[in-house]
Amino acid sequence: MIEVRDLQVRYGGRVVADVPELDVNQGECVAIVGESGSGKSTTLLSLLGLTPDAEISGHIRVCGVDVLTAAPRRLREIRGARVALVMQTPQAALSPATRLGVLMRRALKLHGVGSAPDRRPDSGSHAGAGEGSDTGAGGGSDASPSLSLQKNRTPPLGGKGRLEEIMGEAVEAVMLDREILRRYPHEISGGQAQRFAIALAIALGAEVILADEPTSALDVTVQAEVVGVLRRLREERGLALLLVSHDLALVSTIADRVLVMKDGAVVESGPAAKVLAEPSHPYTRELLEALP
Amino acid sequence: MTEAPLRRTLPRIPDRFAAFGAVLIVLVVLAAIFAPWLAPYPDEPRPLEMLQPPSGAHWFGTDQVGRDVLTRVLYGGRTSLFIAIAVLAVSSVIGVTLGVVAGYAGGWIRDVIMRITDVFLAFPALLLSLALAVVLQPSVNTVILAIAVTWWPWYTRLAASVAASIATRSYVDAARCLGVPAPLIVLRHVLPNSLTPVLVQLSLDVGGVILTSAALSYLGLGAQEPAAEWGLMVQQGQTLFTTNWWVVTFPGLAILVTAFAFNVLGEGLRNALDPRRAVR
Amino acid sequence: MTMLRAEGVTLGYGRRPVVHDVTLDITEGGVGLIGESGSGKTTLARAFLGLLTPMSGNIWYGDQTLKNVDMRKFRKDVQPVFQAEALDPRMRIGASIAEALPRSARPKVEDLLEQVGLDPGVAARRPHQLSGGQRQRVVIARALAVEPRLLILDEPTSALDVTVQARILDLLASLDTERLLITHNLAVVDRLCRTSHVLFAGRVVESGPTGDLLAKPAHPYTRALRDAVPKLGGAPPEAKGRTEAVPAQTGCPFRLRCPLAAPECEQPPVLRDMGGRQVACHRAEDVLPK
Repeated sequence: MIEVRDLQVRYGGRVVADVPELDVNQGECVAIVGESGSGKSTTLLSLLGLTPDAEISGHIRVCGVDVLTAAPRRLREIRGARVALVMQTPQAALSPATRLGVLMRRALKLHGVGSAPDRRPDSGSHAGAGEGSDTGAGGGSDASPSLSLQKNRTPPLGGKGRLEEIMGEAVEAVMLDREILRRYPHEISGGQAQRFAIALAIALGAEVILADEPTSALDVTVQAEVVGVLRRLREERGLALLLVSHDLALVSTIADRVLVMKDGAVVESGPAAKVLAEPSHPYTRELLEALP
Repeated sequence: MTEAPLRRTLPRIPDRFAAFGAVLIVLVVLAAIFAPWLAPYPDEPRPLEMLQPPSGAHWFGTDQVGRDVLTRVLYGGRTSLFIAIAVLAVSSVIGVTLGVVAGYAGGWIRDVIMRITDVFLAFPALLLSLALAVVLQPSVNTVILAIAVTWWPWYTRLAASVAASIATRSYVDAARCLGVPAPLIVLRHVLPNSLTPVLVQLSLDVGGVILTSAALSYLGLGAQEPAAEWGLMVQQGQTLFTTNWWVVTFPGLAILVTAFAFNVLGEGLRNALDPRRAVR
Repeated sequence: MTMLRAEGVTLGYGRRPVVHDVTLDITEGGVGLIGESGSGKTTLARAFLGLLTPMSGNIWYGDQTLKNVDMRKFRKDVQPVFQAEALDPRMRIGASIAEALPRSARPKVEDLLEQVGLDPGVAARRPHQLSGGQRQRVVIARALAVEPRLLILDEPTSALDVTVQARILDLLASLDTERLLITHNLAVVDRLCRTSHVLFAGRVVESGPTGDLLAKPAHPYTRALRDAVPKLGGAPPEAKGRTEAVPAQTGCPFRLRCPLAAPECEQPPVLRDMGGRQVACHRAEDVLPK
């Protein structure tokens, strides 16, 4: 789903992130670990072409789109719809005077989800014809009985009913009540907002989730919930997950592979278990020792 | 994180704009101060030369009694700027002092101050100014007093809300825990950190004060003919706009340029005064 | 020896109480106050600092309540360490630290900076020119300026990178002051506090020796907190009970989130002694392994 080669992000000649290789496959979770200023967030944002003013070289392919050369229209197609970005504080991105359901409906309409099922045959698990798609989300829906059953049972409603159904399913997939769609952003907690952001991604048919410190502003118990949701989505729907975090312990519990970054460079990478058990770089060791 | 590099690449344009605004203001102020030397003609009527369009002899044309408009714009700047500065100085000093005290103290002190403020705000501003101006003798000083009376409560409100939020910052708590007396906390921490929005508001208000004073002048309660004042000139030239556009256009432009320059400077101040933004 | 004591303290802003009838001693060896956002832990800290007057109950300092105590002496003895943002953005570091010092004691600033591991040169800088870790050290130096006996630490490391966090904890552990540490991070408490109190919805639900609390929690909430902390190479943390359930207004506040909730939980539990600790839970026997 994500393929990065020789990526270099520079601001005014200074290299901020230098990533020789980064791959995230379907159903896989890869984590970039580092402290503030290590370039981990920059790397993440560059995958969606969200680093204005930066000079970028190398190759970035996300969902088959060459991000660095693609036309703005194709980039918009993957941003938001096929690739979702989950930030540390999602509340800031929610318009305060609008109910969450309205926000979600607008986003879905903007991306043409639910209005005409056959218009987006390759848009992942939520388009009617999703099962046969080559983008792979269909494979994941087998393992998610609630969703695929619902879909089979529901007649292909056009318009509103179908949209409501997609929204409801997405919200339930992140363990929220449907009732939350009637609430305003200030009426929900940080953890609920974070899960709502993920639900939005699912409703839009995201195949890849890019998460930048998605839980570091949350309490531990809430963090556990959000992480649980991400893990389940990955297992049941084959979502690819690229996680940026400073929390090595958290990363060790969900990531398959880990990249450790320091001052813009990747100092170590490999399977999570191996990197954490036998760190080869002194910085990784330092990070591990700092864990309380 | 991306902050550091972004900071470096942010365009410096806002600063240039601010500098441009500052230069404009200096020019306007210098023009006002040196009006007697810069003015091409004495500020007096020449009935034979009335309503002449702009020309080499009269760059801005002449008005309905034959006065050189450029001359009057230069002299008018003195009055208008003086009124604006005086009004804003008086209202911001009163308003900010009360506002910061109300915002930091909270409780009944805040209630009392805000209720007084509300009383002043309850009157329509122009009406209150009018009433005052009628009671007092029409003059520039009357205009200043009349406008300031209706203007300060806005600063009280602004300063009170900003100060109330500053008062909850942990550095204020830390100072309290160190035993710093309340007046010192207000002076050292609350006031300086509350000033940025006030300064920005001040710069944005210059144009408004000039226009309000114009309205009062028009109603015969402010600066009086033959004194030159931008607002007065605009009001008096209004009816001539379709036939003799220059009479109203040039003083109007003077107001516009001055208000614009202060606005741009205000933006720049906002950037420069925020210590975190200053490095960017 | 108890330095500060909250006795039946109820705290709130306006009329709504957020801390209910809390009794808590700040004893030697470090005291931890553990809770999530909204648990009332910061409100309680503000009361201990004399920044907030209790709606009912008293804060005792020695044998006097904060209402009658000599505030000048109290302020010298008890100092807060807030998060790194607790510096006036306009003030130079030196001025911030010296704020409470008499003019003659200004040279002390350099000593204080060295004591917290900073170069004395930073005195001339402003907060935004320092890193988060450096700012946190400055906040500590400012508190130390008046030579307090007790530090009230409110999430002193939670905004910092792990490596920086570890160094700040080393610094805090090396200071010879008493401390009340307020945090949501159990690991930090384990290191710095002999005794801990777990706060939920403004009530103490469990108190006891920190080690016991973390090793064998007796309250389901303490257990949920402990289990939610990701462990290196461990299984993914699993959420027990849904966190968005609001605290119950009657009975046990935790019951709507509690996996063990039973009919008797509709009666408010009282803090009771149980094997060297205090716990407010009807089902504590089922939580605490024998």
